[in-house]
Amino acid sequence: MAGSNETEINSDEDKKVVPLHTRILISNLKLSYNMLRRPDGTLKRDLAEFLDRKVVANTVPVDGVYSFDVVDRATSLLNRVYRTAPPDEESLRRLDAGIVELVKPLSSCKIVPVILFFHGGSFTHSSANSAIYDTFCRRLTGLIQGVVVSVNYRRSPEHRYPCAYEDGWEALKWVHSRSWLLSGEEDKTRKVHVYLAGDSSGGNIAHHVAHRAAISGVEVLGNILLHPLFGGEERTESEEKLDGKYFVKLQDRDWYWRAFLPEGENRDHPACNIFGPRGSDLAGIEFPKSLVVVAGLDLVQDWQLAYVRGLQKSGFDVKLLFLEEATIGFYFLPNNQHFCTLMEEIKKFLQT
Amino acid sequence: MGPYDSSISAAAGGSTSSSSSSACSSSTKPPDQMDHLLAGAGYKVRSNDLNQVAKRLEHLETVMVKSSPVDFSELVNDAVHYNPTDLASWVDSLLTELNTNVSGQPGPGTADLSDLRDFPAGPYGNGNVTQTGEFSQQAVTPLEEDVSIRLVHVLMTCAEAVQRGDLSLASLLIDDLQALLGRVNSGCGIGKVGSFFVDALSRRVVNSPQNGAVQVDLSAYENEILYHHYYEACPYLKFAHFTANQAILEAFDGQDCVHVIDFNLMQGLQWPALIQALALRPGGPPLLRLTGIGPPSLDGRDSLREIGLKLAELARSVNVRFAFRGVAASRLDDVKPWMLQVSPKEAVAVNSIMQLHKLLGPNSSRGPPIDLVLDWIQDLNPRILMVVEQESNHNQPEFLDRFTESLYYYSTMFDSLDACTAQPEKTLAELYIQREICNVVCCEGSARVERHEPLVRWRERLSRAGFAPLHLGSNAFKQARMLLTLFSAEGYSVEENEGCLTLGWHSRPLIAASAWQAVPKPSAATTGL
Repeated sequence: MAGSNETEINSDEDKKVVPLHTRILISNLKLSYNMLRRPDGTLKRDLAEFLDRKVVANTVPVDGVYSFDVVDRATSLLNRVYRTAPPDEESLRRLDAGIVELVKPLSSCKIVPVILFFHGGSFTHSSANSAIYDTFCRRLTGLIQGVVVSVNYRRSPEHRYPCAYEDGWEALKWVHSRSWLLSGEEDKTRKVHVYLAGDSSGGNIAHHVAHRAAISGVEVLGNILLHPLFGGEERTESEEKLDGKYFVKLQDRDWYWRAFLPEGENRDHPACNIFGPRGSDLAGIEFPKSLVVVAGLDLVQDWQLAYVRGLQKSGFDVKLLFLEEATIGFYFLPNNQHFCTLMEEIKKFLQT
Repeated sequence: MGPYDSSISAAAGGSTSSSSSSACSSSTKPPDQMDHLLAGAGYKVRSNDLNQVAKRLEHLETVMVKSSPVDFSELVNDAVHYNPTDLASWVDSLLTELNTNVSGQPGPGTADLSDLRDFPAGPYGNGNVTQTGEFSQQAVTPLEEDVSIRLVHVLMTCAEAVQRGDLSLASLLIDDLQALLGRVNSGCGIGKVGSFFVDALSRRVVNSPQNGAVQVDLSAYENEILYHHYYEACPYLKFAHFTANQAILEAFDGQDCVHVIDFNLMQGLQWPALIQALALRPGGPPLLRLTGIGPPSLDGRDSLREIGLKLAELARSVNVRFAFRGVAASRLDDVKPWMLQVSPKEAVAVNSIMQLHKLLGPNSSRGPPIDLVLDWIQDLNPRILMVVEQESNHNQPEFLDRFTESLYYYSTMFDSLDACTAQPEKTLAELYIQREICNVVCCEGSARVERHEPLVRWRERLSRAGFAPLHLGSNAFKQARMLLTLFSAEGYSVEENEGCLTLGWHSRPLIAASAWQAVPKPSAATTGL
């Protein structure tokens, strides 16, 4: 099995390709995560929460974006909502005072996109209020000039499949039922214009929620998947080639699947291997269009590319954005061209 | 301008102008300049240190791989982590840990209150206080019902009228508010807390604060009852005591004579746990002196002494040599250091649970009370000053600002209480909180003692007064989380904030605990840590 010999850590080649800040951030995350995983499949959750940098929501707009947390009393799920600051003085004054009024639709004339976002972390790490994700969601909100709702779904190993998917489904229904997320002209296009998005495990969740939505007749206008987490029992070329090279070891990926999937299951489980031997047939259902972003230095890419091919074969609209020299987490910091390209593509995706 | 434009120039070497520090990849910058990009990810790294930190991370990884190629989690199993925001010091402390733990032997198991560790010789924060986050700690109760929104509007308008001195309008609005309260869901959220604020506003309008006597003075006995039920119904006080004890225990490591000064003894609920932990200390307990400060008894009982006797009895039963002294003072700035009888040979811990904010009122003839008190605390040269405070700004000069901030703070706190079903604990706890609300809203001048300020301000204040932060670590964090499992409500959250711990409800911190050490006064070289 490739990767069992000592892999070269941070060879000079790596240094050139990965910007300094990104390298610091992702290495730090990697090392702390390494310390949290136990060989028996449990996680040091206390230490994980201690190390995770979190930020509070803030109704005072910063760079034109403000945020607030809403707890869905029915499910105890926390959603963090990001919105663009209103232009008028009165509303700004209210926001300053912490008053967030949630009654009026977003707009009665134009369409305002609402992105339901699932943060990454291999189903195990991070939260909606983690600093890296709070910052990313703020940037996303500013970009789309709409609303981002970040879901604080339950994580493994404490909560395995299908908890995260259930929470995602509940969040989707919640978003659809908010009068204050409606947009579009009355009687014509008035509805909540929802897109699903996620990075890593969040991308995996987005797929499954979209699938359930499609079967249940709940509308999702599009999926944006940032190096989504898929896998399978078979070892692919990218997994062997890139094992341990850019922050991720194959054995770590395996650990996270073992922690998420039901005990005793393997990676051909349909949650993990979408178009594999046990995958469900997507043909015939109204699956939303997808934007799938693949990082060229991510060892999971073969599975992501297989996913894209699978969607295409089933007749669904899918755009692949392949970023050759991008590593995982390239979008956490806006210090590289990949970030800009990504933002442009997302904007285009929402406009078509 | 997109949110990311300014930062591209770093990689592309382009000419995009930017005022952000991250736009410059090299060049001289002021030494304390923090990197902007990593700050957005929650980390504080000096711009000039970036390369160093990257190297140290690499080094850490190499060491970890070499020492234990398979099992990182066991390798640093008992390491106590401090202040993860300061990335450089976090990496260094792990490297130190690994160097002293070469054999990779697992430690004695999970840390508990009696597992004593020396504080690491880590950085003491560099004196100046960096902004811990541009974000204010505003809480929000998202209002989805028309009637709730109307209630909040009228509350604000009424508060505005009060601020302007238009008491007749305020009275009319209060009638409006009473009517609205009848229509809103008063079981939770803004409806619940709204009734307390309407009540407070109406008291203020009827008895203008200048006349004083807005709050009915409860007897000491009644006070104790409310306090006790607040203690039981929600974890805030327990968290405060627990975290403080953990930090004090660590500060007393290796000390034979220790002296705890409690700024508000109340029923002494904090101390049995510390006494027991000291009893179990490897190497045996120290001589423990406890000085409890409290208001003079009005009813002839010497309640301080009574508590002291009870604690002495407990100490005797676990073989801890113990001495108690009560100091009666109605205000902390009435206390004179000589009353505390601190001996130079003892290790001193000063324990202030929700007391320091009371000193932020108007200056006395001797100057600002807070400065006075911080000064004599400094003179005691304590090994630790433990500060727990409400995490909110209820001390703003404008009434409306205080009103608004406290409305949301207490609404969150009431939400958390919702989860408590035990009676009469819940109702009496609500009354306890109501007294705080009344003080914030109805009182002014020296009568207004609930002058809460957030951690960010306390950090500034304590730094200016010559204290350096002692970071609370992952073991204290873990203990606090374990404490929370005793409370059935799922919404409580403990968070680490640059060496301090906060307890909050659903991501909104409500209580903040921090530890401090007096920096020796003569300008001994503070090593640039």
